Amino acid sequence: MTLHVVFRLAGNEYAIPVDAVLQMETFSGATFVPGAPSYVAGIVTVRGTIVPVINLRARFGLPPLALTLDSRIIVSECAGRVVALLVDSAREVLKLDLAKHQPAPGIVTEQASGFVHSVHSLGQRLLLLVDLPKILGEISHEHAPRSRLGDGSETPQLPG
Amino acid sequence: MTAPAELREFVAAYLVEAEEHLATANSQLLAIEAAQRGGEANPRAVRETFRSLHTIKGLSAMVGVEPIVAIAHRLESFLREFDRSGAPLPPQAIDGLLRGVRAIEQRVAALGRGDIAQEPSDELLAELDSLGLARPVPAVSSRTLDLEPALYGKLAPFEIDQIFRGIALGKRALRAEFVPSPARVAEGLSINSVRERLGAIAEIVRVLPQALPVSPDAPGGLSFVLIVLTSASDEAIVERVGTALGAIRNIAAELSPPAPAEPELVSEPPPELALDDGFDVQTRRGVVRVDVSRLDDAMEGLSALIVTRFRLARAVASLGERGVNTRELSAIMLDNARQLRDLRAAIVRVRMVPVSELLERVPLLVRGLRRSANRAVRLELEGGTAELDKSVCERLFPVIVHLVRNAVDHAIETPDERLRRGKPEEGLLRITCSARSNTRLELTVSDDGRGIDRTSVARKAGRPSPNDDAGLLDLLCIPGLSTRDIATTTSGRGMGMEIVKRTIVDELGGELAVSSELGKGTTFTLQVPLTISIVDAFSFECAEQRFVVPVSMVDEIIEVDPEGLAPLPAADDGSPRVDIISRRGMALPMIQLAQVFRLKKTQATPGKAIIVRRAGAPLAFAVDRMLGQQEVVIRPINDVLIRAPGISGATDLGDGRPTLVLDLIALSVSLSALPKAQGARS
Repeated sequence: MTLHVVFRLAGNEYAIPVDAVLQMETFSGATFVPGAPSYVAGIVTVRGTIVPVINLRARFGLPPLALTLDSRIIVSECAGRVVALLVDSAREVLKLDLAKHQPAPGIVTEQASGFVHSVHSLGQRLLLLVDLPKILGEISHEHAPRSRLGDGSETPQLPG
Repeated sequence: MTAPAELREFVAAYLVEAEEHLATANSQLLAIEAAQRGGEANPRAVRETFRSLHTIKGLSAMVGVEPIVAIAHRLESFLREFDRSGAPLPPQAIDGLLRGVRAIEQRVAALGRGDIAQEPSDELLAELDSLGLARPVPAVSSRTLDLEPALYGKLAPFEIDQIFRGIALGKRALRAEFVPSPARVAEGLSINSVRERLGAIAEIVRVLPQALPVSPDAPGGLSFVLIVLTSASDEAIVERVGTALGAIRNIAAELSPPAPAEPELVSEPPPELALDDGFDVQTRRGVVRVDVSRLDDAMEGLSALIVTRFRLARAVASLGERGVNTRELSAIMLDNARQLRDLRAAIVRVRMVPVSELLERVPLLVRGLRRSANRAVRLELEGGTAELDKSVCERLFPVIVHLVRNAVDHAIETPDERLRRGKPEEGLLRITCSARSNTRLELTVSDDGRGIDRTSVARKAGRPSPNDDAGLLDLLCIPGLSTRDIATTTSGRGMGMEIVKRTIVDELGGELAVSSELGKGTTFTLQVPLTISIVDAFSFECAEQRFVVPVSMVDEIIEVDPEGLAPLPAADDGSPRVDIISRRGMALPMIQLAQVFRLKKTQATPGKAIIVRRAGAPLAFAVDRMLGQQEVVIRPINDVLIRAPGISGATDLGDGRPTLVLDLIALSVSLSALPKAQGARS
């Protein structure tokens, strides 16, 4: 049995192992970072460290939602990187039996843009287990922000 | 089981001290080797090495690290023979000694990681033991000098050897005496000035102070006997030094020897080498060794203090806005600001280390590379007196290692090839460090090797050939680019130029440049800040978002006069406008920061322009309004998702939210570099 944090996003319930979670916090806005991918809501300071906030709705291709009092960020760690996941709400921690994880049906994977690696049935509830490394993106240098700012044709050209 | 706190602390101190002595041993062994190449002995370096190893042995015995004691003991006892006799070390012994020192280093490093030090292998011990077979040729000589036994006894064997070598070369060995007195001091004659003048025409072997009965002639009860080697005549010496030198006497004995020197004096080790002197470093007064992490803690505490101060300042300001009289509070705030600045300066000073610390391991590195790459390389180091932050130093070192490796492995040709090209057989690798300003250090790594072939680098990268050095650097820093076909043993892996650039430019906020001439050589120039983390910065607002920019990057801040704006003909591709503004009669380009960052404009006309200088050419960034100037704590932005050109970090201005710290110079460079990069891609 492994502890999981359960969070909600556009009516669905998702789960992430507690081991990957550093802390959860209420969210009142992040600082916009020019040139960051569109699903990055900005940066926040967590215990003195600058952490990017990934808007999971934007990342999963779901319609945006205004911030509410329930909005939370889940500060997670993955392969040495620390990021915060912005979710609609998160207020439950459940023990899940890893053996009961099932591969995600194609339709679910598709809906979640491939960010769900398996599902877990718990009575009437269906928990979607998210693929954290995939959400963070294995970003190679080709996709590094350096080129991102220059991608558009709107880049100013200096005279001379 | 955990060790008691004192013991842990003691081990930490042991590690620091051992590392220091290992560094000394390494550099002194290299000095001995260098002297050997010039055909000389370097007895001083032998002694230093001996002392370092001796201290390591003593310290290791105290903390009970037997494997290190075993190695150090062998190295030490081998060196003791040579130190006593002053005989030159056999050249082949240096390798063995360096290997022994390396073996100690590995074990010290293991202890540092919390591992245990491994027992030395039998091969290593056998090798070290076999060092001892190369006993020095005893420097005992049947010849003697016409010198008082008391003085003769004070001469070290290598000095006596030096005298006889000089005599053999046809020089005269002289004994002169200088008696200091107030009258002579008035004439400007002291032992130092005499030594200096005499040194110009003679080789001073030793200056021996001698006690005399106090007399009108010797009011200080003291004289100095100078033993020198020279080819100058007595008259020339008198002319040079004056008559202050008493009788000059030739001590090269040609006739029957005088009373034999007391031999037991010679065979005893010099007193400063007594076995119990291993801990003299601990008696050094007023020096504290501190673990860097403790300094980081102090810095962290200071950072928190500065953030709290911002909050305080805001609270005071909002009180003032509500009509409360805050005059006294403001005065206190001013005091507080000054105290914080002083405290910050004090902590920063503590964290500074001399640049020489950064460079001291380079000779050893070059020596190793010289071997494995089969190159003849001469290393020139120019460290200067600059100091830089320990954390900058630590980040800079791998970069230097990389550049040095590249130079020795790939840039400098084999000796044969160099001769064919009409170059000196020995390649030159030069590293210089100099403080550019109060805040920046410039470091160059240059070689006189084959230079970088732009065309072939471009072909490797599948890009058009760059027409200048800046373009070449862009190519070299393409991730994964390797211009070598076969990975060599030393630099096939390891980090590429890409990492060098990331460290220097992105992490340290510095600059990197290359200049290379085919057939002549390559120079890499690095500019890095002397310190990181806390900087003096301007804060400003642009499209309702706040930013800060370090004061050191800003050339000037000017008011933008909407009347004086001359927009350039707008490109039809919708790119942000570049305006031309005039500053003191000079036209300069201005870019809307909001447009570069794609922020929603809320203000029709820009209020202020921040002017930065990139590679000499000024560029203005239009912003809405300036907010103030303050010291800010810069937190690094590490995650790749949020790393972007022109953003060097984030800070907290007291509102609990991060504020982006901009590097407008890097931003302007990235803007101007883009058309080129795009051209290269198409």
